[in-house]
Amino acid sequence: MFDLDLGDELDLLVETARKLASEELRPRLRSAEAARGVDGAVREAFAAIGLAGLELPEERGGAGLGPLARVLVNEELAAADAGAALALDATGPALYPALELGEGELLEGLLEAVAPPGARAALLELDPDALRDGRLHAELPWWPADRVEAVVALVGDEALLVRDGIAATPLPGAGLRAAGACQLQLEDAPIAGRAKGAAGAARARARARLYAASLLLGVLRDACDFSRAYAQERHAFGRPIAHHQGLAFLITDMQMAVDGARLLVHEAAWRLEAGAADAGAAAAAFAQCIDASRWVGPAGVQILGGHGFMADYPMEKAMREARALGLWLGGFDAAIEDAGRALCEDASAPLELC
Amino acid sequence: MEFAVDPRTRERLQEARAWGRAAMRPAGLESDRQAAPLPVDHPYFAKAVERGGGRTRWPGPSGRPSADAERTSVVASLLLAEELAYWDRGVFVADPGPGLPETNVLALGTEEQKERFLGPFVAPDRPRWACFAMTEPGAGSDAAAIATTARRDGDGWILNGAKCFIGGASRSDWILVQATLDPAKGRAAQRAFFVERGTPGLGDFKIEKKMGLRAYESTSFTLRDCRVSAANLLGGETGGDSRAGFKTAMRTFNAGRPVIAANAVGMGRAAFDEALAFARAHDLLCRDRVRDRLEAMARVLRMARLVCLRAGWLADRERPNIVEASMAKALAAGLAQQATTLGIELLGTVGARGDHLIEKLYRDVKAMDIVEGTGQVQRVIIARQLVGLPR
Repeated sequence: MFDLDLGDELDLLVETARKLASEELRPRLRSAEAARGVDGAVREAFAAIGLAGLELPEERGGAGLGPLARVLVNEELAAADAGAALALDATGPALYPALELGEGELLEGLLEAVAPPGARAALLELDPDALRDGRLHAELPWWPADRVEAVVALVGDEALLVRDGIAATPLPGAGLRAAGACQLQLEDAPIAGRAKGAAGAARARARARLYAASLLLGVLRDACDFSRAYAQERHAFGRPIAHHQGLAFLITDMQMAVDGARLLVHEAAWRLEAGAADAGAAAAAFAQCIDASRWVGPAGVQILGGHGFMADYPMEKAMREARALGLWLGGFDAAIEDAGRALCEDASAPLELC
Repeated sequence: MEFAVDPRTRERLQEARAWGRAAMRPAGLESDRQAAPLPVDHPYFAKAVERGGGRTRWPGPSGRPSADAERTSVVASLLLAEELAYWDRGVFVADPGPGLPETNVLALGTEEQKERFLGPFVAPDRPRWACFAMTEPGAGSDAAAIATTARRDGDGWILNGAKCFIGGASRSDWILVQATLDPAKGRAAQRAFFVERGTPGLGDFKIEKKMGLRAYESTSFTLRDCRVSAANLLGGETGGDSRAGFKTAMRTFNAGRPVIAANAVGMGRAAFDEALAFARAHDLLCRDRVRDRLEAMARVLRMARLVCLRAGWLADRERPNIVEASMAKALAAGLAQQATTLGIELLGTVGARGDHLIEKLYRDVKAMDIVEGTGQVQRVIIARQLVGLPR
């Protein structure tokens, strides 16, 4: 029956991630952004507490945890610095097709490619015509990394691994700069591994969306928490600005939006762990996070007023990062496309209780 | 962490659905057409009692729950509240039983009061009602401002005042009336009194004409030098010595807000299903414009349901849930309103005919953002907790 308690293992995981986030990521927020990456000490701390291989099977040296653990960790890290969270995770969501399509070759190739320190992978969704004569041709205007050693491309039900023929051209980056930013090009890129399966591809997409959704959730949570604390300290017209009802209601609505989106993310993650092949729930959860981010990010800046606009406070960063994350992995339109398709195909009522 | 509905609750939801479809929906449409509450002798009520409704949770003077009594978790009761309101929220409220004040009586009533006032609901011989009277013409959400007075008079109390929008007041065996011993002392001076039907001074019942939710009566009445015995003060003589009076009233609402929220989700779902069925029947789902709007609606209704269940889950674990309960109500009422709006727009001018369910839902659902604290009051409650908004 309905139960929101995480249990001891996940509680401990959240606590561990939160500690790392507040002690290592938060203080380096701006330096990581300027350096377009996290420093070695942070990377070591991240690996030392076991977050580096969170979802890798135990036989590959990972923690063997699932989507729920991922969304919890991502929220905690992103609440401190979403860009750093991306920089720390070598495979990122590119891991999911390799895990879900159950092909050792794909996973091995991917892990080998990202083994050097600082190496990163990208996940691309491509049309079938990107594959010509057994090679991939594609261009992506933005990916949050300065270097990309491996690309996993989802083409319909098939996952393709590419390790050569990848050109990553650096970009300034609008948000998530701690992760880097590049324009990505695949030119005549040879396929280094492939795996196919409709259910696996759907689950991989769902996990990728939850990955992005939970980072977004962390950014939005921080926008809520930081601006709320500020509004209780900052005085105007003789009282804390939070005590003017116009702002009190805005703060309330922000909190409601984030709480609601989080429940959708957790439910979708739980469904995936329970083995449901439910692409719609994850897509809807991502869409709801993006929907909230459209106004919660800017509202965080708004509450801080002029200070919100300045780089002395982290709200302008939250607003930029929330926007960037909402564009990632196909963004809102691709998400509602998938969520809506689930609605159309299923003849039963989508909100039915029994 | 788990989001599944257990098999027993699923079974009960299926029973609720069958009952809702067969009995509640037709009764609700009937009262809406007649623009009047379902009469006391309507066969629906007799059937409701026959199938086990209208009963109290109080186990009886023995203190032992009867063998067939089943403990319902708050989460399960919220799911049931959603399902029943899906079929007709007005009828859900009209159902016989000890209703809103039951929680108060169970929490604060003396054993004698439980036996006297809940006893008739243990195995009711006929449909019976009770109700809670807080709202007044001059005090709705600001419950601390009520003006109905209670004055000590020998071994009893004299009540004076006017109440309004009280669900089921004219048909209730007794009304739990919230009154103040001293209007200058605010909430600390509030107490609740059982006023039985037929008590001299209780009268002027006026059943309101409403935009929606017509199946139950919303009634105003007056108390003119209405004398009740000392035994009718909730909690007995000690009930008069603490701040328990106001807190008791608030307890009713803390438990009630998630139920209203669940009702709203059910009504939103009913509107959504009408819209989806219409879209399917007319091949509209292939249009992005229609499909996107339906997708967004399904998504936020699911979210509202989860927010609502979270409040119930906290209550089941006896953890504080003030913020979560208010969030559930603030969110669900607004989104349910949007769902009916979407439905009515999708169905087009059908919604203006005045004989379609979608239009009834549109009228019915507005109350959900008003009863038991408006959406604005919920935000005030949340903001008090989140940022210490002063009273």
